[in-house]
Amino acid sequence: MGKYRPGRRALTGATIVAAASLGLAACSSSGSDDSPSDGASAAGGSDVELRLAWWGSDSRHSATQEVIDAFEEANSGITVVGEFSDWGGYWDKLATATAGGNAPDVIQMDQLYLASYAEREVLSNLADYSALDMSHLGDSVLGMGQVDGAQYAMPISTTSFTLLVNQDVLDELGLTLPDTDAWTWDELGEFASSVTEASSGDVVGIGPMNNEYSLQLWARQHGEALFTDGNVSISEDGLASYFQLALDWAQSGAGAPADQYSEQAALTLDQSDFATGKQAMSFTQSTQIAAYTTASNGANLVPVKIPTEDANATPYAYLKPGMYWSLSSQSKHPEEAAQLIDFLVNDPAATSIIGTERGLPANPDTVEQLSGNLSPEETKAVEYTETLDPILGDAPEIVPNGASDTDPLIQRYLLEVMFEQSSPADAAASFISELQSSIDAA
Amino acid sequence: MSLKELNALAANRSARRRSGGKADTRDNRAALGFLSPWMLGIVGITLGPLLYSLYLSFTNYNLLQSPSWVGLDNYERMFGDERLHQALKVTFTYVIVSVPLQLAVALGLALALDRGMRGLAFYRSAFYLPSLLGGSVAIAVLWRLVFGASGLFNVILGLIGIESSQSWISNPDTALWTIILLHVWTFGSPMVIFLAGLRQIPRAYYEAAATDGANVWWRFRHITMPLLTPIVFFNVVLAIINSFSNFTQAYVVSGGTGGPADSTLFYTLYLYQEGFGNFRMGYAAAMAWLLVLIIGAVTAINFWLSKRWVHYDD
Repeated sequence: MGKYRPGRRALTGATIVAAASLGLAACSSSGSDDSPSDGASAAGGSDVELRLAWWGSDSRHSATQEVIDAFEEANSGITVVGEFSDWGGYWDKLATATAGGNAPDVIQMDQLYLASYAEREVLSNLADYSALDMSHLGDSVLGMGQVDGAQYAMPISTTSFTLLVNQDVLDELGLTLPDTDAWTWDELGEFASSVTEASSGDVVGIGPMNNEYSLQLWARQHGEALFTDGNVSISEDGLASYFQLALDWAQSGAGAPADQYSEQAALTLDQSDFATGKQAMSFTQSTQIAAYTTASNGANLVPVKIPTEDANATPYAYLKPGMYWSLSSQSKHPEEAAQLIDFLVNDPAATSIIGTERGLPANPDTVEQLSGNLSPEETKAVEYTETLDPILGDAPEIVPNGASDTDPLIQRYLLEVMFEQSSPADAAASFISELQSSIDAA
Repeated sequence: MSLKELNALAANRSARRRSGGKADTRDNRAALGFLSPWMLGIVGITLGPLLYSLYLSFTNYNLLQSPSWVGLDNYERMFGDERLHQALKVTFTYVIVSVPLQLAVALGLALALDRGMRGLAFYRSAFYLPSLLGGSVAIAVLWRLVFGASGLFNVILGLIGIESSQSWISNPDTALWTIILLHVWTFGSPMVIFLAGLRQIPRAYYEAAATDGANVWWRFRHITMPLLTPIVFFNVVLAIINSFSNFTQAYVVSGGTGGPADSTLFYTLYLYQEGFGNFRMGYAAAMAWLLVLIIGAVTAINFWLSKRWVHYDD
């Protein structure tokens, strides 16, 4: 019968070979990246190709691409290739590209990652490049882009934290927002519940705060700071109350139940419940108004102040260094790259295209220039930020090296609390020890 | 080629081997020549990085700066790393549940298809299709929609009278099971292998058994199963290794987070997060080697156990 069927040795052999190759495939990484053609010299002999990377939503992609076109027109011989993705994929990609010695020349940077990259010496000190004019910026703004005294990042903008309210949804439900000038967290929670009730659950009132900016503000409202001298300094109680608020809202009906909220974790801004009108209020940055307005097909979105327990307490709000442009130390054409950064932040042609999409420009001249022809959404953002003046304090220290994962960490513990797998107090304790050990290890 | 010719050829070859003639050396050289592209690939693309990752596992390497030697630190850290323990728990649950389920479904369908029904080729292709698609990003995205709060799954539940508005994919208690289901659904490749195995079983055995009055179950239990054990073994080994190294489905279904609340934190996903998200490539490399050891050990146990239940017919 042997000739009908494969024998022991053949089959064992096949199994071993298949097992080994699968095992190897499991741990070998594939990937040969196209390396950038460094200045493919054409007839002129001086053609330079730069790569510019950013994250963002659709409106940012098109605006930035327009600026790239303008830059190429003004600087013949330089080609700029834009590389963009959403927030999540951006950092994985950047880390991989940088590790491969293949980082984009100009990198849109965030304060979560600035110290991580700067301290690992993969960014250039921008002060060394005369093509980049930073004289418009005040010391305090410039300070937001410094690590150990070196200017590793050029602040593009500042942004403020806000509660964005979809007025169209409220109108439809016949609800009126309470006076938000000095409202408390309880008042917000109750109002959010009334939205859910009035819509019989089709629309929820609010989503939880779930990022580093909001946690900073929460800490500051309670007289604390998230980081001090490069270490985690928020108290367990302070953090537990932050988690407790999210749990309360999920349970009271003010916000979506845990699973509905968690479903959105993997979605982009355009697909979120707030953008699709299934949530009446959302915490975000004032400069996201334009993106949310586009995503929600032009809904009337109003930025209001977040509540406080004590309106007369120490000014807790601060303008966050929105984003930065950084110059990779791997760039083969740093001079041209500096020129590109200069164009992006200082050239009137560029700044009028970008407007406030990347935040209220840090360059006062640009703000002046823009004031005449801002879109309604941009005006809202600017005016809202002005109302913050009385409660505006100094910016906190930037996120230390090793803590760039603060946002996903908040998100993970938040879900554990909302699904009642951990108590807010336990989650707070674990969060702090995990974040601190991550900083210590970096 | 007739049997006679084959025999002559074999005799000729072994004669040459004994004499160690020049032609033989030439053959070997030619073989090496033809193999060399493949060997280069193994050494350059697989073996090189493999050894490098072994080196990295003993270093502190943050991707952006050169690695620095830290000895066994990375391996020691594993003992206190609760997320690693969670990842192991998730991955083992996944392997232990999804492998038997998937193989049972594959075998069941293979048996059904083996009856020489009409349109076999069509059914075989139709059932194989999920295997081709299941590992793809598009299907993982689709899975999110099917098992979402307003997804197809809840609609179907509604049709049979069960009202449900919960999101299966976003609930820590059910999320892993949706991914297990996705894996079971890709039963096509083991099914095709089972089918081939069933085809190899001589019909005469069944005819003889039927003559002796054996019923369907008896025939399955005492003819099909024993003769199929080498194929079952092959499929088990492959399925286990595949399941341990599952990444795409876990990554896409949870949006790369392993969430909700780490309930779908697959081992490879955590490895990826540590390496590329947290800049701990040294630790990630150590994790990769732990996975190699785990898969190696499980496979070795499999081979050892196979002596007790796999029957080779030779």
